[in-house]
Amino acid sequence: MPQLRDSRSRISMSDLPQADPSLRRIFGIETEYGISVTGAEREPDPGTVAMLMFRPVVAATRSTNTYTANGSRLYLDVGSHPEYATAEATRPIDALRMDAAGERTMRRMALDAQELVRSEYGANARVHLYKNNVDSAGHSFGCHENYLVRRDIPLSLLGRELIPFLITRQLYTGAGTWAADGSFRLSQRADFLDDAISSSTTRSRPMINTRDEPLANSDMYRRLHVILGDSNRSQIATWMKLTCTHLVLCILEYAVHHGLETGLQGMELADPGKAIKIVARDMTGTVPLDMADGTRKCALEIQGVYLREADRFVREHGDDVALDVADAPECLELWAKALDSVHFADITELSSWVDWAAKYRFVQSMKLRHPDLGAARIRQFDLDYHDVANGHIFESLVAHDQMRLMLDDASVDAALDTPPADTRAALRGAFVAAAGKTPGCTWSADWTHVAASVDGRQAETQLLDPFDPTPTPGYERVMELLQAAKTA
Amino acid sequence: MPQEGQIRKPVTAANAIVNAAGNASQTQAAPSVEYQDAAEGLDSVLDDIESVLENNAEDYVNHFVQKGGE
Repeated sequence: MPQLRDSRSRISMSDLPQADPSLRRIFGIETEYGISVTGAEREPDPGTVAMLMFRPVVAATRSTNTYTANGSRLYLDVGSHPEYATAEATRPIDALRMDAAGERTMRRMALDAQELVRSEYGANARVHLYKNNVDSAGHSFGCHENYLVRRDIPLSLLGRELIPFLITRQLYTGAGTWAADGSFRLSQRADFLDDAISSSTTRSRPMINTRDEPLANSDMYRRLHVILGDSNRSQIATWMKLTCTHLVLCILEYAVHHGLETGLQGMELADPGKAIKIVARDMTGTVPLDMADGTRKCALEIQGVYLREADRFVREHGDDVALDVADAPECLELWAKALDSVHFADITELSSWVDWAAKYRFVQSMKLRHPDLGAARIRQFDLDYHDVANGHIFESLVAHDQMRLMLDDASVDAALDTPPADTRAALRGAFVAAAGKTPGCTWSADWTHVAASVDGRQAETQLLDPFDPTPTPGYERVMELLQAAKTA
Repeated sequence: MPQEGQIRKPVTAANAIVNAAGNASQTQAAPSVEYQDAAEGLDSVLDDIESVLENNAEDYVNHFVQKGGE
């Protein structure tokens, strides 16, 4: 029943920041790439190759930290890892397209750098750029997902009811790898994570990060930083990890907002750090995990409950939140099919879009031809699958219709300099494109800010709402400065 | 060409959601068959890779050592 309120309380409420009752979301993916060189007469270290990759960026912007005309961030991270952080997207398919544009940008930069490497280190040198998460010595690096969530979702709820989903989704989102002892892992990241939730100030390696930097109105939102995922080469796997996670977050946020049960109360794991390692070693999804309530459930059972609740949510509330769960039916169907395939050990079906299965199936096939296939060769295959510059296996799987794609090639090309049209990225992208074409312009940008200086004149503005692609007066002043310099 | 955003070769299992939810609860009872059919149908991919991969796998792998990022 609606409560009667007096007008005074309504007025005072309207002065406060309004909660966002929708389930709209900003999605983003940050991907670190790994570098190596083979075939060189003498060997450049990864830092040298990374600097050669970024030479054109430095020439244009005097920095190894820049933004591109599609609104994404392109930079050199610690450890000389080239990194690409996708522009704000409101739909997983848009985030996927930005991620694919990032892959293409990285490939081009690596192949351009290869020419420079060859002139100095030998004509047969080859630059490998790995979209993976672990090197041959066991160092790990990340692929982080970002989800804007409403501020009222309790962190403890995420720990109890989101973490079990994230840990078991590796059945279809894991990129797969072989451990030093030759055994197979569904996820490359599982062995590198300890705590379920942590703030950035601790030394532990958390699965999700709750540092509070929403890059939006911090009274309304927080930014959920998911650290435990693998880098995917499969476009469908990238899309699925964002879409499935979105649906689970929708269930939790809707329940919190309406004071309802989530239907996921029994999902809390007794020991997430232990569970993630068990799931990573179990391609059948059937090894029991200890639950916080003393029962035991396997990864397939846990995923089955999340799928059932996501399906129920879309059926019951899909109309209320239609725009926010637009891709849901296709996701639910694929999700169900993936769990079926794990249950029936149908690796051929899985391998059409699940990275670990594609890689595992390839190596099993190679072993039939070459029973003496060595550990190093398998490790080489593992790496080659992730090499976006000079890799063969993934490309061959696509060419022979063994790996399904989701994006048209032309749309990925277009996304290199076209930001999502319905977010703040549209403003940043247009600014970066204009500034780059303005002679004598010095400019800077970050997620919430753009600034330009031309001939001693300066203009800057903040862009605080990630959902808003509408030019503000401040933004128009910045763009006018660039326009005036161009026509002068 | 398929529509942008449409997954190529879409899955067809109409009752897959029901199956998955139902199967999941029975998984511990139902023994999984081995992943034995996994190797079929990849001949052309294997041919591609035989002809292009670098010879010294050991050397290839050991070149990739890079400190962690994040």
